[in-house]
Amino acid sequence: MNAHLPILEIKNLSKSYGAVKAVNDVSMHINRGEIAGLIGPNGSGKSTFFDCSTGLARPDTGKVVLDGQDITGWSLNRIAREGRMLRSFQKTVTFKALDVEENLIIAGQMFTFPTLASTFGLGKLSRSRIAALRERARELIKMAGLWDVRHQPAGNLSGGQQKLIQFASMLMPEPKLILLDEPMAGINPKIIERVVDTIQYANKSLGVSFLVIEHNIDVVTSICQRVVVLDQGAKLVEGLPHDIIQDQRVREAYLGG
Amino acid sequence: MSLTDTAPQARRRDLRIPLAAILVVAALAAPFIGTRYVTHSLIIALIFMLPAHGLNLLVGYTGLLSLAQAAFFGIGAYTAGLLAVHYDTPFYVNLLAAGLVSGLLALPLGIPALRLRATSFVMCTLGFVIIGQAIAKNWISVTRGDMGLSGIPKPYFELGPLSFTVTGTTSFYYLALAVAALGTLAAWAIVRSPAGRNMVAIRENETLAESLGVPTWRYKLIVFMISAAFAGVGGSLYAHYLTVVSPLTFQMYYSTTMLIIVLGGGAGMISGTVFGSLLFVGLTEALRVAPEVRMIAYGFCLLVLVFWFKKGFAPLINRFWNAIGGSK
Repeated sequence: MNAHLPILEIKNLSKSYGAVKAVNDVSMHINRGEIAGLIGPNGSGKSTFFDCSTGLARPDTGKVVLDGQDITGWSLNRIAREGRMLRSFQKTVTFKALDVEENLIIAGQMFTFPTLASTFGLGKLSRSRIAALRERARELIKMAGLWDVRHQPAGNLSGGQQKLIQFASMLMPEPKLILLDEPMAGINPKIIERVVDTIQYANKSLGVSFLVIEHNIDVVTSICQRVVVLDQGAKLVEGLPHDIIQDQRVREAYLGG
Repeated sequence: MSLTDTAPQARRRDLRIPLAAILVVAALAAPFIGTRYVTHSLIIALIFMLPAHGLNLLVGYTGLLSLAQAAFFGIGAYTAGLLAVHYDTPFYVNLLAAGLVSGLLALPLGIPALRLRATSFVMCTLGFVIIGQAIAKNWISVTRGDMGLSGIPKPYFELGPLSFTVTGTTSFYYLALAVAALGTLAAWAIVRSPAGRNMVAIRENETLAESLGVPTWRYKLIVFMISAAFAGVGGSLYAHYLTVVSPLTFQMYYSTTMLIIVLGGGAGMISGTVFGSLLFVGLTEALRVAPEVRMIAYGFCLLVLVFWFKKGFAPLINRFWNAIGGSK
C-alpha cells in the first residue's frame, strides 16, 4: 500500500437516530504513524463516529477507507481481523472470568489461525500457534506491568489494570491502527502515566497509528500530534493541540455556547 | 508454614490415577455389580449424556440457553429408526446419519433463531420441540403418527466378514458406554481447542470478542449445529435401545432434563455433564422402583441444587479432584 496515503480516511460520514443527526457529514483522516485526537463536549457524536468507523454501527452515508481499501459496511469482527484496525470501548471490558494471559491469547487467536475451521484443531500445528501466542502475550503482559497478576481472573483486578489488559489485548494482533474511546476515563493518575507510556511505546516501537477520544486535555496535548473537534455532530475545527485549546470556538462549545 | 506442615504433604501421593482407574473398572464392571435394572438406568443416563454434552457446549461454553435439544434428539431418533426399519442399515450408519441430519437441520433453524436475543431465542428453541412433535404426529405416511415407529431392530454391526447384533441389556450397556465415551472425548477436544476459547469469549462478552476479530455469529451457528449433532447421536441410541420411537420423543420434559443435567452438573465443565447425567437421569430412572417418592426425591435434589450448589456440582468435583491430586 502507498506509504504516503493516510492509514484511515473517512469521507462525509453521517448517522441519524430518528430525527437526531448524531453525526453530520464528518470527514477526517489519520496519517500513517500518527496519534490523532478526537475531542468534543458530551453528546457531540464522538462515540457514534467511532462506532460507524469500526463497524459496530452502520453509517447512513459516507465512506470509510482503511489503508486504501473501502471497508464501509464491513462487520466489527471483519474490520478487526482483516483490516487490523482495533478499537476499545468507553466502558472497560475484559473477559472477566478468564485470567490475564487467556484474555490476551483470545485477542490473538483470530489473527494466527487462517480459517475458522482451523481453530477446531488440536494437533501439533495448533499447539505451536498457541504457544507462540502465549509467548507474545507474556511479553506484552510484562510491558504492561501485569506480570504478577497474569494468572488472576481479569474481573478480580482494578479498573486501571483491566484497562491495561484491554490495551495489551489490542496489541496482540500487531494492529495497523487502534481507536481508543476515552482510555483515561476513571483511572488513577499513576495508571494514566502507564497507559500514556504504552500508547507511546506502541506508536514508536510497533508503528501503530492511533485515534484517541479523550476528555483529559493534558493527555491530549501531550500525546496527540493533531486534534479534531466535534460539536453537535459536525466537525468544528481541526489543528495542532495547542492551537485547538486556544481556539475561541472550541472554548464556547465546551462552555455550552 | 512450618516444616512439620510441609513434610507430610511432600510425601502425599497423587491419588488421581488410581481413582480414575477405579472409575474405569467400575464403569466396565457395572452390569455385573448391579441388577439388570441398574444397568438399564445407566444406559438411559449414558444416552442422555450425549445431548447434554451438546447442550453444555451451547449453554455452558457459548452462553446460549436453548430448549431445542429434545427436538434434535427426536430428529435423530426418527432418522435412525426410519433407516433401520426401511433399509436395514447397520447401527453405525444410523448413528452417523442421525448426527448428520440433526446437525444439518440445525443450520436453517439456527439462522433465524440465533438472530434473536436472550429470552426470545429460548422461546424460539422451545417452539422447535413443539413443531417437531406436531410433524411427528401428523406426517403419518412417514412417521406413522401417534402409533410411532416400532420394530426398530437391535443395533447390528457389519465389519467386513464379521457381523453381529447387540442384543442383551449388558451388551447394549457397553455400546452406550463406548458411544458416550467417544462423545465425551469429542466434547473435551472441542472445548480444549482454540475454538473452545473463542466460545468462552463469546459467553463472557460477545461485543468484546467481536472487536477482537472473532466471527461470533458464525461460531454460534456452528456450535448450535454441533450441539444438535450430539443430540441426534443420542437420539439414535435411544431409538435402538427402546426399539420404538413415538412423537413423545419430542417432549419438553427431555429438554428440561438435559438442561438440568448441564446446570446441575456444572455448566461449562465436561466432567460436570458426565456427573450430571449419571445423577439426574440415573437417579430418576433408579427411583422408578419407588414411584410414590420418585418425583419428590427428584424435586428435593433440585432444591438442594438451587440452594446449596448454585454453580452445580462441578466445582465440588474439581475441588475433590485437586485435593486428591497430592502435592506437586
